[in-house]
Amino acid sequence: MSALDFVVLIGSMLGIAIYGIWRTRGRRSLNAYLHGDGQTPWFAIGLSVMATQASAITFLSTPGQGYLGGLGFVQIYFGVPIALIIIAIFFLPIFRRLNVYTAYEFLGRRFDGKTRLLGAALFLVQRGLGAGLTIYAPAIVLTTVFGWPLNLTIICSGLLVIIYTVAGGSDAVTVTQKYQIGIIFAGMVTAFCLLVAKLPAGLNFTDTLALAGGFQKLNAVNFSTNIHERYTFWSGLLGGTFLMLSYFGTDQSQVQRYISGSSLREGRLGLMFNAVCKIPMQFSILLLGVLIFVFYQFEQPPLLFNPASHQYLAQHNDSGQLQALESGFQKTHNQARQQIENWLDARHNGDETGARTAFAAAAAAQQQGEAIRARAEKTLTAANSGTTANDADYVFITFILQQLPHGVIGLLVAAFFAAALSSKSAELNALGSSTTIDFYRHLVKRDATDAACVAASKWFTAFWGLVAIGFALYAHLVENLIQAVNILGSIFYGVMLGLFVVAFFIRRVGGTAVFWSALAAQALVFVLFFYLTISYLWYPLIGCAACVFFSLILQATLGATNKSAPASPVS
Amino acid sequence: MKHPAATEPSARESEETGLPIFRSWKSVYLLVLGSFVFWVALLIALTKIFS
Repeated sequence: MSALDFVVLIGSMLGIAIYGIWRTRGRRSLNAYLHGDGQTPWFAIGLSVMATQASAITFLSTPGQGYLGGLGFVQIYFGVPIALIIIAIFFLPIFRRLNVYTAYEFLGRRFDGKTRLLGAALFLVQRGLGAGLTIYAPAIVLTTVFGWPLNLTIICSGLLVIIYTVAGGSDAVTVTQKYQIGIIFAGMVTAFCLLVAKLPAGLNFTDTLALAGGFQKLNAVNFSTNIHERYTFWSGLLGGTFLMLSYFGTDQSQVQRYISGSSLREGRLGLMFNAVCKIPMQFSILLLGVLIFVFYQFEQPPLLFNPASHQYLAQHNDSGQLQALESGFQKTHNQARQQIENWLDARHNGDETGARTAFAAAAAAQQQGEAIRARAEKTLTAANSGTTANDADYVFITFILQQLPHGVIGLLVAAFFAAALSSKSAELNALGSSTTIDFYRHLVKRDATDAACVAASKWFTAFWGLVAIGFALYAHLVENLIQAVNILGSIFYGVMLGLFVVAFFIRRVGGTAVFWSALAAQALVFVLFFYLTISYLWYPLIGCAACVFFSLILQATLGATNKSAPASPVS
Repeated sequence: MKHPAATEPSARESEETGLPIFRSWKSVYLLVLGSFVFWVALLIALTKIFS
């Protein structure tokens, strides 16, 4: 990184953080700290919801998904529009009518205290752990860029986020997210344009798509009904709807964003903004990865994108195996490149047979190259007790550092950092809010003043930030980051959603029945997760269905309900 | 202790979007679903044509 990169990175990050703290200075009431000033317009809510979901992992790891696996990952977002419409119609009006600080307060009013605590506890466990991965992603970027120790980077960046979030509260989160997402989009659009400009001159738009499609990178929709396949149309539409309904409807980090609007209209429009934009946004990020794949058909890519993996293999390379692998990889890449150029010439000359033959040869060479890369990863795993290369997380950053000019590098690192700060601050704000409202004020000190609650919320926010740092220190053990976040969420979200579905739609079920049913359903999801190999996208649906089904059975067994009316007031 | 800005939504607030063309929430939801169908169709076309 040059001095210009540092100026762009540090200037934008510190500038936004200081501005957010300055804009929200002097807000000491509990309402202002947890809800903001209640004047947030729909566009700010829409950007805030988007920035909360789209963490650094989204922008760092998703292009790698596109590079390695093509566009198929976009199917996970097919559930977003349907889920957000359901939330806008059913969830949001009730949250606003009840004037709740957290989604779990609603469970307390509809059922009882123990069900409220269960919902809040499920949120705290999965979001507290997921928050660790949110810190880990930008730490990879900084480690790769600066060569700092990974753990030190995690701790320093985590502490920076904690200070910023504790000082700012909910309004600071919303205020800063607007500018942070501006930097993110500026960085991603710049990278996209520069990448397109770097593609070979003779390669036009349809050639690019044909080349990517020939290597199966444009297989965006898969109608397979095999439940063991991770990304299909059906798992995205059905499982994805439940996953997104759980995330947007029951996760406090999102609920806190859209209930802060000045009216129901602002909240609904903010959600609809995301319902329209999410699929095209994720498609564009995946397409960026596909275009990087096309770019590296004409430029020699590294054997392993993860520099730490390559370094480890180099240090434990007694038999010269790494040189043999690299030599073979380079040879197959040159063969593939030559055949792709032949394919391009034949295609432009209208020689269909020649084009087909050349492409078949290119695909065969490319497959040999991938086999060599797989051998390198296998060697790494065998040599380093199960460690994987996690190459998808390093594809985009490698491209940025090797191919983009100074200034743009700083802008993109700033974009990753902005994405991390925006989602991290919303998560910590929600974790602090839920711990304060659902546990501290509900269990420990019911007569706590606003000032005491604000102070407690700041301490709890800092506590969860430290927990996230601790978890982030072990995040390198998991596979691809964005998948890890979604897998973690899918284990807990289904049961959380089940609690809310019963609360909203099945009035005859009471607190005791739904509480024990939720515990049984969560146990079932754990057992299935460890013993089945089905796509993780199905677990929210399974958890939700099990919670609803068990609740109905248990309530029928218990007999008369002890439920309260959904809108009954509580202190 | 509760959020003062959040109140019982009026019938008008619940029904009107304040948008120029899409005046009812039903039409907004149909717009969103239409956009979703458009993107899925585009992605299916991309898959069929180039794979």
